[in-house]
Amino acid sequence: MRAILSGVEKYAGTSTSSSPVSIDGAVNSYGLTDATSVKVYTLANYHGVPKALYDKFLAEPLIPDWGLKIYDLILGPAFIALGIALLIGFATRFTLFAMGLLYTSLTVGLILINESSGVAWLAIHIALIALMLFQVKHNKIELTGKWKL
Amino acid sequence: METVIHSHEPGLTRRDFLIKSTLAGAGLVLGAPSILKAVGGAEAPSNMINVGFIGCGKQHEVVFNAMVNIPGLRYTAVCDIMKDRVGAAYGRIRSRFGYDPKRYIDAADMLEKEKDLHAVIVTTPDFWHAPHTVMSLQAGKHVYCEKMMSNSIEGARSMVKAMDETGKLCQIGHQRRSNPRYIYTLKELIQRHKICGRIINANAHWNRAVSSSRDITVPAKILPDKGTLLKYGFGREGQNLTDEELQRRFLNWRLYKDLSGGPISDLGAHQIDIFNWFFGGPPKSVIASGGCDYFKDREHFDNVMCIFDYDTPEGGARAFYQVLTTTSAGGGYAESFMGTDGTIEISERSAYTKIYRESGSAPSWEPLVQQGWLKKAAAAGPADSSDAIASYASAAPEAFALPGDLNEPPHQPHLANFFAAIRGEAKLNCDAREALESEAPIYWVNPAAERNEIIKLTEEHLHT
Repeated sequence: MRAILSGVEKYAGTSTSSSPVSIDGAVNSYGLTDATSVKVYTLANYHGVPKALYDKFLAEPLIPDWGLKIYDLILGPAFIALGIALLIGFATRFTLFAMGLLYTSLTVGLILINESSGVAWLAIHIALIALMLFQVKHNKIELTGKWKL
Repeated sequence: METVIHSHEPGLTRRDFLIKSTLAGAGLVLGAPSILKAVGGAEAPSNMINVGFIGCGKQHEVVFNAMVNIPGLRYTAVCDIMKDRVGAAYGRIRSRFGYDPKRYIDAADMLEKEKDLHAVIVTTPDFWHAPHTVMSLQAGKHVYCEKMMSNSIEGARSMVKAMDETGKLCQIGHQRRSNPRYIYTLKELIQRHKICGRIINANAHWNRAVSSSRDITVPAKILPDKGTLLKYGFGREGQNLTDEELQRRFLNWRLYKDLSGGPISDLGAHQIDIFNWFFGGPPKSVIASGGCDYFKDREHFDNVMCIFDYDTPEGGARAFYQVLTTTSAGGGYAESFMGTDGTIEISERSAYTKIYRESGSAPSWEPLVQQGWLKKAAAAGPADSSDAIASYASAAPEAFALPGDLNEPPHQPHLANFFAAIRGEAKLNCDAREALESEAPIYWVNPAAERNEIIKLTEEHLHT
């Protein structure tokens, strides 16, 4: 669920609609507006790597621009796909391994830009995934039983 | 229907179908952001204003984020002596607009090579504002420079002189001057409807917590080297500064007297500008007190309080201002104009904005509410509660609010005004001369506190 929601949140944004305020029967000339904001999920909102981090990664010589672009594109869908796969028991070992790699890649990025608290936070995720990999043989609901991945 | 037929083709199992359709769906999701990005339109080249940035630190980011929704701008060049910041500014532009601005370390080099620049945004430390603005104006560029104009009044005057001599536009970043909430409050509520009655006092504050006032630190490896910092004036050869001291001066230039004006100028300039704008001119004197009471190793006072005396057409008025770097409680930052009929407490943040009608003495504001000039707000606390002494306490004032808001970044209207002026569609809301007329009294607050005396502000102190 954590991975699915992380992926879904990458499509989250705020939709703000503002309308000019009427004063004394006419639209005010100052530009005063009334606004309402709601949280929305749309494809147009998609940012795989959060904007602030993306800018820092662009300036990072060890991360090539093309690699960052691809990573930005696949991160959200990868979270969702792996999260769903894990939840329904699809290729569980492979899924856990891929998810471990994904979180490790996030950790490497944060190490490069000195985001130490984020690194510690992701380490907890990786430890949990490693623990699940050890226990995967007890998984009773794997869909890919015959050709275990 | 076709999907059903394919799913029954020989050799395609239910498992295969599940995998393939998942991959196809993922591919669609992966491709969607690129497809959507490609839909965005572009401005005709003839309407484009080519913009360069000198200074790519924190304030650059604030200003840039306020510019990205203004159409017709092309970000041509970025310049900062810190390579990491140049890279970040370059990345911000590239990731948002998809093209590559030129990168520079030296501003003079940028102005020399970028012949097609129309406008320059100066967001460097205060002691560099005047040199960067003057060199940009002399290179034939229009300039938007952050406030405070300079760390010295002589520097600020050189900017006005360069603006006059070159005939180029020079807007100073007192962004409240273009904020519709402030303009509406002054023109409609104070001047036209006179809801405050006679304004006799003003009161403003910027209260900032210790946690927000601590030294800025970054890993030393990404900072410019000692030679570069000395070359760009963060220390002088005779000062015998260690590498660490020089780096601290670079990152925390606001703490040093030869690099900035301190909190009264960093934070106070915005709000003291509002005093002078709303009162229609500069004060006639200033008295102040300040001290390094908490941050004992800092050159500038960490807390300052001052009182300005004004002569207004209606009579005398006083304005009290405090800037605290050790406490945030008390409402962040706001300016109050307190009159016989009402008080307007206004801030860039609408949450800090309140309007109060004096109960008992002021005329009813009901007609103004009905016509939409004001909105009723939640009532203030009652004066006759058990902790009030009825014979001493005034009746609780009625609370009101502005009828609308600014629903875009606070700097955006001021930047939009600058670019509209370049296109000949508007007049600058705060050019260098107007800004200096308003900023000049601020340069005398620290001296008044240091000398512990009233400074009578004359033409000699205030001239532009």
